[in-house]
Amino acid sequence: MFHQLSSTKNHNQALWFRSWQQLKTDKFGQLGAVIVLMYFCITIGVWLQLWGHTWSETSDLFNQSPSMKHWLGTNAIGQDIASRGLYATKVAFEVGLMVAMCASLLGTMLGSIAGFKHNTWIDSLILWLMGVIDSIPFYLFVAAMAYAMKGFVFAMHLAMIMVFWTETARVIRAEVIKLKQLEFIESAIAMGQSQSKILIKHIIPNVSHLLIIQSTLIFVTAIKSEVILSFLGLGVKDGISWGLMIAESTNDIQAGYFINFIVASGLLFILVIGFNLFSDALQDALDPKLQK
Amino acid sequence: MNIGIFALQKLLGAIPLILGVTFISFVLMVYFGPDLTYELLGKNPSAQDIAEIRQLLGYDQSFFSRYLLYLKELITLDFGMSMMKDQPVSHMLRQAIPVSLLLMIPGFILGNILAIFLALKATQFRGMWQDKSIMTFSVTGMSISFLIVIILFQIIFSSSYGFNWFPVRGWEVFDYEGGFSWVKYLSYVTVPTLATVFVALGYNTRFYRAVLVEEVSKGYITTAKAYGHRTPQIMYKYMLKNAMVPIITRIMFSIPLVVISGSLLIESYFGIPGIGLLTYDAITAGDQPILKAVVGLTSVLFVLVLIGAELLYKIFDPRIGKAS
Repeated sequence: MFHQLSSTKNHNQALWFRSWQQLKTDKFGQLGAVIVLMYFCITIGVWLQLWGHTWSETSDLFNQSPSMKHWLGTNAIGQDIASRGLYATKVAFEVGLMVAMCASLLGTMLGSIAGFKHNTWIDSLILWLMGVIDSIPFYLFVAAMAYAMKGFVFAMHLAMIMVFWTETARVIRAEVIKLKQLEFIESAIAMGQSQSKILIKHIIPNVSHLLIIQSTLIFVTAIKSEVILSFLGLGVKDGISWGLMIAESTNDIQAGYFINFIVASGLLFILVIGFNLFSDALQDALDPKLQK
Repeated sequence: MNIGIFALQKLLGAIPLILGVTFISFVLMVYFGPDLTYELLGKNPSAQDIAEIRQLLGYDQSFFSRYLLYLKELITLDFGMSMMKDQPVSHMLRQAIPVSLLLMIPGFILGNILAIFLALKATQFRGMWQDKSIMTFSVTGMSISFLIVIILFQIIFSSSYGFNWFPVRGWEVFDYEGGFSWVKYLSYVTVPTLATVFVALGYNTRFYRAVLVEEVSKGYITTAKAYGHRTPQIMYKYMLKNAMVPIITRIMFSIPLVVISGSLLIESYFGIPGIGLLTYDAITAGDQPILKAVVGLTSVLFVLVLIGAELLYKIFDPRIGKAS
């Protein structure tokens, strides 16, 4: 019995160790990790007000080209594009972190409960809820939420959390159903441990690798959706985001000023590609089937 | 005969799902939605006017009967008048749907066929430079936001900074006699289609490659190779057919997304009067009758598409549904 438990623990440590070994050999994955870390540093800098806090200050220097004072020039009402880009990085990161954390937490909870209570009414109820949420087109759901909660700043965040958890829940549920049939869970049940304890102590630690992958995927999706929603006027209300920068840049483009557009879309593109590379590497490293 | 019973079973099974999606859109759009009483009233309304309007909007009825009313609206497709334009919502939808279909169908078909083709090539040359370049292209396509692709393609193809080959925006596909003009249609549909295909290729190729790679390692492929079948025959005849179930799932699942989410951005950016632009205008103006119609109908459509997908599985793989 004890041997069983400790062997799963060893197995678990071995999994993390092997994953780390594999991650160290993945060049693209490392590049992705470096990119993500850089953006994280930018975000921390904005939090500490080292840079980017002057994003809303206007001046009479309209549509300036890059200079020493304004590294990336100014926009149509004389705001510093570099500061706006940096501040928007923080906004994007906040959306991504908040949505990824809440959605994967919710997904893990409901997914593991559904998997643990497989073939009961609780499972059917959660499955039904996931089916319902997945059937409503995402942008319309956000629009509906924004409409129902007129003026509420976090309507977009809430809508994303309510939609994105289903993917995680499905993955976790399938894994929990598989885990449940393994001996170490059976023996935990035989020992008379309470269901909640089995779930928290034995099942959730064994799905944590999936959780990491899912959170990175949600993070990227959230940031990309935030840009499109903000562009459509459904997203960030107070503050600046890449989507809002792109929205204001569509007027600049017609006048021949491209910097605003290039900065916002460039920052977004690099972050997303970095995160995609990192997430791919994580998936390869953490999936026991793919490990060499 | 079997397929009919199977379809009926699936339809019955979908009823809770349809009730669920309609319930959520009802709660969000109708029940918790903003109070519209004063938007429909003139200045200085009397208490009687207010009561009349509230009765007209159904605010005096119970939660449950209002939900039934919404279900009735969905079944009869009668959502009343739009608040912005003085037209019945059903009439506006009927005008907008063909535009959206004409706009999205070419990109949808091309995006899937090209992606399957690229995925087959990538699988065939797995690990070699062809595979790597296809996958690099695919990851790039995935990483660029759809929004940025649309704006970039518009700059490249329809502005004086690029080639300036196509009109910037709009949708005038009828010639002076009022007939449908293919030339005009193509000039308006090309840039949106290119943008859709570019983004769809990224996601689809990656997905299809994963499906095909799993298929290629199966025993029957080895057998076919041992029998000396030529590679194209193995790839297109045996492997593709066996990989069809996940491919169909993906295609079917993306229909509602493409029709609504894709066209929301494309149509509002290119000013094309389809469902997307209608929805976008309704969102910005808070036009509740249109929103509740679009949200409710697309969600129900999605559930029906799911049933359609399961019927298709059964055609491609007769084993499905037999065990139960």
